Amino acid sequence: MGLVLANVDVVYGGVIQVLRSANLEVPDGQMVVLLGSNGAGKTTTLKAISGLLHSDLGSVTAGHVTFNGADITNADPVAIFSRGIVQVMEGRKVLEHLTVEQNLAVGAHRRSDQKAVRRDLERVYGYFPKLPDLLKRTAGYLSGGEMQMLLIGRALMARPKVLMLDEPSMGLAPMLVEQLFQAIAKIKKEEGLTVLLVEQNARAAISQCDYAYVMDGGRIVLHGTRAQLENNQDVQEFYLGYGGAEGRNRFHNIKHYRRRKRWLG
Amino acid sequence: MINLVQILIEGALIGLVYGLVAISFVVIYRASRIVNLAQGEILVVGALVLWTFTLGTAQAGYHIPFVVSIALTVGACILFGLALERFVFRPLISQPAFSIFMASVALLILLRGLAQLIWGAETRSFPAIFMEGGFTVGPFLINTRLFLGGVCTLLLAFGLHAFFTRTRQGLRLAAVAENHDIALSLGISVRWAIAVAWILGTVVATCGAVVLLSGRIISLDVATIGFKALPVALLGGLESIRGAPLAGIVIGIGEVLAMAYLDPLTKGAASGLLPYAVMIAVLLVRPQGFFGWKRIERL
Repeated sequence: MGLVLANVDVVYGGVIQVLRSANLEVPDGQMVVLLGSNGAGKTTTLKAISGLLHSDLGSVTAGHVTFNGADITNADPVAIFSRGIVQVMEGRKVLEHLTVEQNLAVGAHRRSDQKAVRRDLERVYGYFPKLPDLLKRTAGYLSGGEMQMLLIGRALMARPKVLMLDEPSMGLAPMLVEQLFQAIAKIKKEEGLTVLLVEQNARAAISQCDYAYVMDGGRIVLHGTRAQLENNQDVQEFYLGYGGAEGRNRFHNIKHYRRRKRWLG
Repeated sequence: MINLVQILIEGALIGLVYGLVAISFVVIYRASRIVNLAQGEILVVGALVLWTFTLGTAQAGYHIPFVVSIALTVGACILFGLALERFVFRPLISQPAFSIFMASVALLILLRGLAQLIWGAETRSFPAIFMEGGFTVGPFLINTRLFLGGVCTLLLAFGLHAFFTRTRQGLRLAAVAENHDIALSLGISVRWAIAVAWILGTVVATCGAVVLLSGRIISLDVATIGFKALPVALLGGLESIRGAPLAGIVIGIGEVLAMAYLDPLTKGAASGLLPYAVMIAVLLVRPQGFFGWKRIERL
């Protein structure tokens, strides 16, 4: 069960095709990572799931997105959210004129059981011990790392079943990235959460995941378990940054050239 | 000295009426990013609807209890606000700001025409909802209608502010005010929020009509209050509910001071010009007004 994308095509504005027959599976309780260079279609994949494609004038034109067996293809984002699929968009999208406390409250806006909400707040403070000191601060003036904690905390306040994170490490110092991924792994384990993570920072992301997909030019080009990907030569070279021998590097260039062609085609 | 204080009191009370109408601009702007120029016309339509359900029905021989009249008026305002959102502004979502601006100009002219078509051009008296007359505090005379209206404005402003910052429903609306995409990603229906905003905007404008017109004469010219309230909304900050009454007081006092001291020298032009001079100054110097949201830029 879990979240399944079957042969999904996404077209923006009726003309620009971004996803081509993408197949992806996020089983319950697992952390799945989606890797790929810029423009590979990672964010589009997340938006195809969360329904946020609509505000970019995009839509799923073929294939199906299902969650625990229910078809959610092109469903209303509010309906998808209430099924427990929550996307944290990239670019630190805090509600910048509201306080940290209000941001967290907005996360729980669908829940009327105030006691449970307060318990969850305590849990979020447990994962991010810095947050309680920031409650009265205006969210727009937090540092990048603090914003990212707030965003994940806000998403947790909705009690999601599936948490989708779009490049949480963007623009953060390496040490913060490490802390952040540790926190995500801890949350996933303790809450029994299903996580779909989009990352450029492949090394940090792969180290925490159960399964990974690599996208390129709107297609899934490679997928496998953590061990499979960590040992894969291409992944090592393109995403983990292990330099190869001279000849290998030239091959790398050729491959980049071929990829480029594929993208244009 | 006594004269000056009297002038200040009158200015502040008039200003609170502007503030009330400005709040109706603000609630609509927050949710939809639309500055609806036809807000004054909406106020007049609200006033005419209230007249219809009170004196109008009484003239036609049906006497309905006052509470029922108010309920009917509020109901009609809700439908009116929803209709404006659904048939004029929702189809324009994601159109350029200029199209939306022109649509609000068209709505202004359309509503004037429709009001004339439905209710005719004659002036009529508005029911006296607040007590008439005045009372004195020491040497100062205070207009009861404007005083009660001012108290209502302040209560409404603080009430709405608390609603937007503390309650779950209000925080949803605040999230929509901040950013439609983020709101949507948090499972908040932006359409619902905009519909609520138009309902609030229409109802608040009608409250403005009550304070402004209680016991006085309704005519289509009353709609110019909309253009007086626009500089107030800008000065207070288009996102700020609490800024509106404060800016209203500032502009109201400025206006009566200009009326008392500058008008004799300028053939009566100064007090009419002042709000718009303030508006241009605000746009040039501090576009976000007193408490509006300055977009936090981080590079």
